[in-house]
Parts: sequence; C-alpha cells; structure tokens
Amino acid sequence: MPEAPLPTRHVAEAVAAPAASRASPWRRPLLLLALAGLFALVGPWIAPQDPLWQDLAARNLPPQPGAWLGTDNLGRDVLSRLLAGARITVLVAGGATALALAVGAGLGLAALAAGALPAALVFGLIDMIRALPSVLLGLALMVALGTGVGPVTIAIGLSFAPTFAVVARQAWLRERQAAYVEAAVASGTHPAVILRRHIAPNVAGALITQAAIILPRAVTTESVLSFLGLGVSPETPTWGRMIAAGLPFVERAPHAVLAPVVALSLLTLVLAVAGDHIRAAADPLRRGTG
Amino acid sequence: MRLAAPVLRQLLTAAAIGVLVFVLMRVIPGDVVDVLGIEGDLSEQEQQALRAELGLDAGWWVQFLRWVGGTLRGDLGLSLRYNRPVAEMIGYALPHTLRLAALALGLGLALGIAAAAVAAARPHGIWPLLVQALNVWSIALPTFCVGLAAILVFSLWLGWLPVRGQLLMPVLVLGIDIAGQIAKPLHEELKEILATPFIRAARAKGLGPGAIVLGHVLPNAAGVLSSVSGLILAGLISGALTMEVLFGLPGLGSLAFQAIAGRDWTVLQSVVLLFALGVIVANLLADLAHRLADPRVR
Repeated sequence: MPEAPLPTRHVAEAVAAPAASRASPWRRPLLLLALAGLFALVGPWIAPQDPLWQDLAARNLPPQPGAWLGTDNLGRDVLSRLLAGARITVLVAGGATALALAVGAGLGLAALAAGALPAALVFGLIDMIRALPSVLLGLALMVALGTGVGPVTIAIGLSFAPTFAVVARQAWLRERQAAYVEAAVASGTHPAVILRRHIAPNVAGALITQAAIILPRAVTTESVLSFLGLGVSPETPTWGRMIAAGLPFVERAPHAVLAPVVALSLLTLVLAVAGDHIRAAADPLRRGTG
Repeated sequence: MRLAAPVLRQLLTAAAIGVLVFVLMRVIPGDVVDVLGIEGDLSEQEQQALRAELGLDAGWWVQFLRWVGGTLRGDLGLSLRYNRPVAEMIGYALPHTLRLAALALGLGLALGIAAAAVAAARPHGIWPLLVQALNVWSIALPTFCVGLAAILVFSLWLGWLPVRGQLLMPVLVLGIDIAGQIAKPLHEELKEILATPFIRAARAKGLGPGAIVLGHVLPNAAGVLSSVSGLILAGLISGALTMEVLFGLPGLGSLAFQAIAGRDWTVLQSVVLLFALGVIVANLLADLAHRLADPRVR
C-alpha cells in the first residue's frame, strides 16, 4: 500500500514556504487545463481548411506555405485535421475521466456505505475486473458498444472506473481510522457532520488526484483504440486515426504521422504537469511546496 | 501456512474471472460465423450449418459448461476461426509476450534501481536530476507515443532497425517507462533510510557510500518495490499489448486483438483468462517477495 512518507518533512517545507507561493495552489493546474480546453474548443474554428476536404492531386505534400504541416495520403490538410482532432481527443478523454470518476467512486462509496456484505461483493467484482488488462477491457467494450464518440467515451470511462472505486475505498478506510476522526467521535460530533466535514473532503481530494492521473491515460487510450481502428468512426479526424492512416505512407510523408504524435505527446505532457500540480494542491501536506 | 488463504482467494477470483470473461464475450454483437459470412459470402443455410458444426447453436449454458469442462481437463478446444487447437496458438504466442515482458521488466528494474541507488549515494551530482527526468518521462510520455517516435526515428529515418519483428525498441521503450515508475519512489525511500540512525552507525564504522547503499539501504527499501509492483505490472501488460500491435510481434496481445476482430471466442476466452491468471500469480509472487524481504510483514 503506497502510504505517504512521514509527514514531518513536508509540514516543515510547507511552513517554511514563502507567503507568495501560498496563493491558491489550484491556479496553475486549472490554467493549464483551461488552456487545453480552450485549444480544443477553438481548434476546429481556427483550422485553415475543412479537415475532411480531400485534394487527391495534392497528396503527401511536405509542409509548405498554405499547408503548414503538409497534407496526408488523401490530400487533406494535416494542420486542420490536427486542430479538429484536438476537440474530439479532449472531449473523449475528459468525458471518459468524468464518467470513470462518477461510476467508480459512486459505486464504490455506495457499496461501502451499504455495509460489509455489499462492499465485499462489489469490490470482489472490481478486483476481478482489475485483473484484466485495461487495454483488452477497453477493446472488448469498444467492440460491444460500436464505434463513435459516445461509445468510445463510455468504453474508456468504464475501463478506468475500477481504479476510482479502489482509490475511494483506500481513502475512506484511511480517513475513517484517522486520529482526528477518532477525536471528533470522542467529542460527540454527529456522524453525518464527520462524514461531510472531515471525511468527504479528503476522499474527494484522493479522487481528484486520481482523476488527474487518469486524464492523460484516457487521452492515450483513445488514440490507441482509434489507432487500432476501434475508436470513433473512420471519417472523424482524431490523432490516433491520423497516425494509423499515415503510417503506411510514412516514408513519403513522415510529417503526417509526426504531427499527431508530437501533438499527442504535448497534450499528455501538459495534462501530466497539470496533474502533478493538482496532486500537490489536493494534498494538504504538500500544499505550498509545489 | 499463511499463504493458503490468499492462494485460495485468488483461485476463486480466477474462477469468477472465467465467468466474467465468458459473459463479456457474449455481449459483443456478432459471432465468428457472421465474420466468416461477410468474408466468404456464405448463404443463410451454410451459416446455420457452420454454427451447428462449431457448437454455436447451443445455449450459453451448454457452451459455458463445454468450455469449463474442457479447460479443466486441459483441453482449450479449437479456434472457431482457424480450426487449430487454441493451446497450440497460445503456445506459439506466449513465448513472444513473455520474452518481451521479462526483458522489459529486467531492464526497467536494473535501470530504475541503479539510478535511484546512485542518486541516493551521490545526492549532489547530476543523478537526482536523472531520476527526476526518468519519472517525468514515464508520466508524461505514453509508451504508445514513444514507440511510434522510435519507429519514425530509428527505423525510417536512420534505418538502423526494421519496423516489425524486432525486440530491441519495444524492450527499450517499455523498460525505460518502468524504470521511471520505480526510480522516483525508490529514491525517496532511500533518502529516508539514509537519514536514519543505523546508517549513521554504518558510516561511523567507516563504510563508504557505495557499501552503505548496497549493503544497508537497498535491502531495506525492497518494500517500496513490492508496493509499486501492481501498478508496474498493469502498465507492463497493457504496454506489452500495445507494443506487440505497434511492432508487429506475434504475441498474446496480437492474438487477442485478432480474436476480438474475428469474434474468435474460444481463443479470446483462453487468452484473457491466461492474462488474468498471470496477473494473479504475479501479485502472489510480489506478496511473497514482500514477506521475504520485509521481516515486519512476516
């Protein structure tokens, strides 16, 4: 169990942190996330061309004025497809993460609240699902649900949901036996108040941290599924589809593969950095040190 | 023997996974006859005859009991699509996956432990930065992207390696990813241990930093490795599947992917069950290693 190390060092660092860095720790990560969201929102609008428009006379062109990232194997503008794909990528990843959080944490916490037997049953099932590789699970769900933006979001969301249930259980069990909860019980605080004021914020913090870890993985999973031809429908421009479509022609038009690979790496990098800040912000012991 | 209980529970889990896998396969619309029908232009009668021949016209329960009975007897049945024994197909694919996973895990462990140990022994050099860089690398760069970039650079531009069928690039990509996951928590733990009194005692009796890290600190940090092992294992399996498809390796991942696409249920059931058993056995081994390494857990 990945227990937190002795807190003394972190507390010392947090106390010693200059006042300036105590400005809301959420500002930086939320700014980064807003940036990614904005990019996804306006991306298709600022695309210089129709991402679906094919010019078969201008296939596999290298980057040049007018087609800043070149064209792909069907003569479509790579930059326009990249920008149009950004929205779907961010939409699917964000939606899947939110779904995983809602389903996983909701189911897990409901089972914990319902008593020992339901919790044992639900978490037994969840442990089983966790023994299956998530890529295979996503693949199977994808085939079962069919292609499209909705199905791919649901498939990725459901395949990540078990991790949220487990995180919720860990946080719940840890907080329930924490010394401060014991103190609140001893001082006669009503259980509902303890739940709302003490336990809920800490469980929520753990879940937000997990969401920050899962978000970039959801981006990658969407690309892998699209790459395998199982994600959104074939005409929809996504980065995974662009990579899959460009790979057979990569020797003549490496830019058509390189552009989505770089975009994908940049997006996961930004999301991972934002996630690290969120982790710091959600952990009171690390607050002010990030 | 305290191990009996977890083993029993894991066996129960394995049995339940069998049921789960079976149900999941049946949720997928279409069967192998539909796929063959589209490919081979079979008439309605021919499709019905084929279903009867493959045993697909029987109810779910009958199919399930046939599969369970066969599997318990050690007979995995025939591939619905290729009419070859499933055991033979798995027997061919398994070594490819095991080799990739074992080499990647070995490289990742060696690289991660070495980086963390050297960084702990020399806290003022470039090494702690290397640990940090490895960590950022594995968090921010998915193996899918790194694998594709490696294909672009080393196979297509430099022409050093073929795209398909070689092991070096997938092993490096997965290994570095694992090293990044190990190095950071291990380094943190090593630093904590280095600050404890018994290390000061070792230093007082004249041991050098290398001897202290190797002889006293590393053995005490083994618990960290077992605590991240579950995460690493999940990443390793998913990563190996992705790498197999990306680099065209004929392992279990490619087999499973083709089985899903072709609705080859008998193959898919056995492959997924095998993955689940692999995860269970690996978790048991990690648990055992933890008990052996940490006297407090015994």
